[in-house]
Amino acid sequence: MPSFADALRVLNDMKGSGVVEDYAVAGAMAMVFWAEPIPTYDLDVLVFLPEDEATIVSLAPLYDWAAGRGYKAQAEHVMIEGVPVQFLPAHNSLAEEAIERAVTLEYEGVPVRVVRPEYLVALYLEPGARTLKRRERAAALMESSALDRAALDDLRKRFGLEP
Amino acid sequence: MASFPKGRPRPSPDLLEALRAGKVALRRQRERSELREKIRIVLELQRLCLPLIERRRPLADWERPWAITP
Repeated sequence: MPSFADALRVLNDMKGSGVVEDYAVAGAMAMVFWAEPIPTYDLDVLVFLPEDEATIVSLAPLYDWAAGRGYKAQAEHVMIEGVPVQFLPAHNSLAEEAIERAVTLEYEGVPVRVVRPEYLVALYLEPGARTLKRRERAAALMESSALDRAALDDLRKRFGLEP
Repeated sequence: MASFPKGRPRPSPDLLEALRAGKVALRRQRERSELREKIRIVLELQRLCLPLIERRRPLADWERPWAITP
């Protein structure tokens, strides 16, 4: 049976092979790195796709790379070593900064890029994405000892996010 | 509607504060758990929660407990 570390190794392989320029684990699994574990059923990964001439972002090359290694896509998820992974191209400057400023942590000897808690809260507070579940997650992270309040205040101010 | 007798003793502010502090302490303890232990808990939560969710709605194909070890 594969391990969670095996799935993380594949993310690093994707970056190494150039199918993504960079990545950072986001969403509930990123929260697990910083706060209490919570129920979640997929692994969200923010990605920078390689820049090319195309004006429309396509995940097709990424899905093709995965399929070539036996990882099947289903319903916008790729099953990687037993973990359904959703790849989310950075959709705005906040998401881009979240990837750029992600921290490299280690899981069972495997390096993994993880979105910092302040950016997770900021992404949860984005106006178009404020579901009750996301607000609850933001609240949980704001109680985390890992959160840098000054950094979060700066993000709120710069990106115009309501508390 | 249930009615409650007037004058029921209430917890003191100190007791409420102690109870809240206990929750914070427990949360901090869980936050500091080893990552492997946290992943084990996530896998356990999936096994517990998904059958409950399935009672309310059909699950998507990818909504399954992950067949992995921590």
